[in-house]
Amino acid sequence: MRKLPILLCLALPLFADEPRLTFDNRPMGSIAKPLVLRSYLPDPGLEDSVFSQHDHARKVSKYNPGLGSDVPGEIQPVPGLAAAIGVNFGPSLSYVFDTTECRLLYTWQGGFVDMTPYWGDPDKGSRVSFDYVPRLVGTLFWQASGPDPIELDGKSIQQLGPRVFTGYRLENDTPIFEFATGSTRFTLSITPSNKPLSCDLTLTSSSAAALSWRGIDSPPATGKLTVTLVGSDLSKFQGYQRDNKITTASAAAGETLFNQYGCAACHSIDGSKSHGPSVGKLAGHPVEIEGLDQPVLADRAYLLESIKAPNAKIVKGYPPNYMPPFGLPEAEYDSLILYIQSLDKPE
Amino acid sequence: MTSLFLKLGVIGILATQTLYAVKFNDCYRIEDIKLPAGAPPEVGAIDIASDGTLFIVLRRGDVFRAKPTRDPAAFDWQLFASGFDNGCGLDIVSPTKIRITQMAEMTEAEDSDGDGSADRFTRFAHGWGLSGNYHETNALTRDGKGGYFIAVGTASFSGPTFKHTLGTFSDAGRRGRNYSAVKWKGWVLHSDAHGKITPWASGFRMANGIYQDPRGELWAGDNQGDWKAITPLYHVEKGKFYGHPNSLVWDPAFTKSKDPLAYYRSRLDEYNRDRTPPAVEMPHMEINRSAGEPMEIPIGSHFAGQMILPDNNGERVTRLMLEEIEGVWQGACTHLIDGRGLRSGNHRARFTADGKQLFLGQTVRGWGIPAEGLQRVTFLGPVPFDIDRIRITRDGFKVSFTHPIPDSLKDAQVWKLSSCTYQPKWTYGSEPENHREHAVRIASSDEKSLTLKVDGLASGRVFRIHFPKCDSPDGSPLQNNLAFYTVNRIPITKPD
Ligand code: HEC
Repeated sequence: MRKLPILLCLALPLFADEPRLTFDNRPMGSIAKPLVLRSYLPDPGLEDSVFSQHDHARKVSKYNPGLGSDVPGEIQPVPGLAAAIGVNFGPSLSYVFDTTECRLLYTWQGGFVDMTPYWGDPDKGSRVSFDYVPRLVGTLFWQASGPDPIELDGKSIQQLGPRVFTGYRLENDTPIFEFATGSTRFTLSITPSNKPLSCDLTLTSSSAAALSWRGIDSPPATGKLTVTLVGSDLSKFQGYQRDNKITTASAAAGETLFNQYGCAACHSIDGSKSHGPSVGKLAGHPVEIEGLDQPVLADRAYLLESIKAPNAKIVKGYPPNYMPPFGLPEAEYDSLILYIQSLDKPE
Repeated sequence: MTSLFLKLGVIGILATQTLYAVKFNDCYRIEDIKLPAGAPPEVGAIDIASDGTLFIVLRRGDVFRAKPTRDPAAFDWQLFASGFDNGCGLDIVSPTKIRITQMAEMTEAEDSDGDGSADRFTRFAHGWGLSGNYHETNALTRDGKGGYFIAVGTASFSGPTFKHTLGTFSDAGRRGRNYSAVKWKGWVLHSDAHGKITPWASGFRMANGIYQDPRGELWAGDNQGDWKAITPLYHVEKGKFYGHPNSLVWDPAFTKSKDPLAYYRSRLDEYNRDRTPPAVEMPHMEINRSAGEPMEIPIGSHFAGQMILPDNNGERVTRLMLEEIEGVWQGACTHLIDGRGLRSGNHRARFTADGKQLFLGQTVRGWGIPAEGLQRVTFLGPVPFDIDRIRITRDGFKVSFTHPIPDSLKDAQVWKLSSCTYQPKWTYGSEPENHREHAVRIASSDEKSLTLKVDGLASGRVFRIHFPKCDSPDGSPLQNNLAFYTVNRIPITKPD
């Protein structure tokens, strides 16, 4: 009972015309004005049974866009939630509601998400990174498992047929999710509780059957049910940590960085064109530069400059202001250069 | 006597109209519109309400609105709604109700209690999947009957898919560079007025913008890349396939193979028979690197009835001069504006109701360094000296200009015409092939136009039309001296 007023005082007043989402990669709402964030969201390790209304992606063989065919190797799908909504009330509560499963997936406290992997590092001036799943910040205290916990007359609504998301409304800025199975309509709202590692659930149904939440004892209810979901400290998350800890430069480290920094999205290593020129067979070869009569040799200095300050020399046929400049530790520059130089070796 | 007097009078009027040089800055003003402080200016979509209010969707999720003011720094932005995932399509239903295509669905956001911000978010249309790939953004245009056409983007091999996907996963669709691992990626869908969707046309890589013109013709661009030789503009018709194979995994009528990518990879002749070619192909270096939303230039500005195509990857906006030849669309392209203070990242376009101002929404969709925000182009009234139209004839092109042309242009020697073909395939873009130079004769000319007789005019080719920079006799500098005409069909009947 004491926690709530303190949090209310901490809540910063927000004016209607202020952006809710800024360059701050750790956006937060407040109890007075929760933040609704629709984005790819992390999967903290939910069990498969929770995804009954999703399909499973399968691994595929690696594809070489220059050849137009598969090459040895596999690409695995990664964990993540495609169509979920994250809501944050400030430090007191965050949760993820999934619009595909129409259910609460997990809840945490003490922070929200770190968007760096999706939004990019604002200091580098880039808008994307090479990983699109935000990281959690805070203490995970509850996560979904098994069939849908909402029950009518003691039976999970999962047995009634597909659950279909229809939308949400904001009441005092707090979202109330709406979904249906057949002709039965439901709403669910999730709000901070004054108990530790807990949140309050308010559930409504258009059915006359008894409404309950599996695993939570509550007096019989029809039409509307309010319960407290009490969790426990499941795990702690600290947002996005990027420290490549490269002390000695190497071509192998360079290959990892080449993928991690998204160089591969614009540069092939097999000689084929992409958004940018191929870096295969580049090192030690002459390069034609816009505005220069003589080609320039792609030596170490040239490669370093190309990564640090791409606009200094623009390769003929490619646009300026397209490749972002990369400000990296020396060992990372060296690794990338060693990697590019290694691509020149005959197979 | 009277007629001579009249003639002199007419000449007098013409003289006062044109006897001064019209420069770029007399015709266009380009301004940066100041966006709300602190908001990342990643403009996913824009639209203008019937009362003139401009709405913008920012890709992180906020929607702002403002009444445009003369002062580009004085727009009084109000936050209308928040909570959208990468909204790249926007329709304003009324000043209090908007619809947005976001990644997973199309959502209607309404301010139902009149407090100025949306409080009801209703799913309007859905049914396409979402794989977890960053590239799967969607654009929309009205269908004129209360419904929409929705262009659904493919995924990129530079990003992953999630273990659990929204919608059915296809192994064959997942293959390749840009892929269609889940439903309707690479398709144009139709949504009726109630949000019920039906697949409409396939074969898109990334139609970043779709547009139904006032006559009901549907247009979409695409991005140079795999199976897109250079930057195309398509005239979109129901049931047709526009060339990117992966989308075909979702087409029950495509029974040739379970792996359309591999199938067409080794059968380019059959591929060419099965696909519908672009109405216009734009060389990506010279004209447009990445097509944004097509938009017709409305009555009220010069070039009315022609179309613009923002370049998402260049500081320019393309101007398209389309014509329908015996049922087949084709035409020429040049720049509307190239540089001059325009940013890159152009992908959404809206003209104001009077047709005199153009808003351009800008964002980098993928990897480049930020080129983003909102700019306004004002058509100041005077008409620049520029190519007005290029039309095909039975044996060449008729090129007309907006101002009288100097005699130097009436010399066939100065016209350099060449042509080439483009074969879209699995590679990222394709090099021009079968290059040919064409001899030119001037068949006829008048004050503002020339008819060129072109040796070897042929269909299936993109013609490069180049001539020297020059001034009009009134001193106005020529804006564009390079255009490309995509010849899909040569008229048999004599054009008027
Ligand atoms: C947004 C796409 C993009 C990304 C991401 C990108 N580049 Fe580039 N890069 C380009 C383009 C376009 C050029 C050619 C224009 C120029 O010279 O700046 C280029 C040029 C280069 C060159 C010179 C190539 C030559 O042929 O001379 C090198 C080396 C290079 N990039 C390395 C990198 C590395 C290493 C990374 C990742 C740390 C990277 N690039 C990320 C687009 C990109």
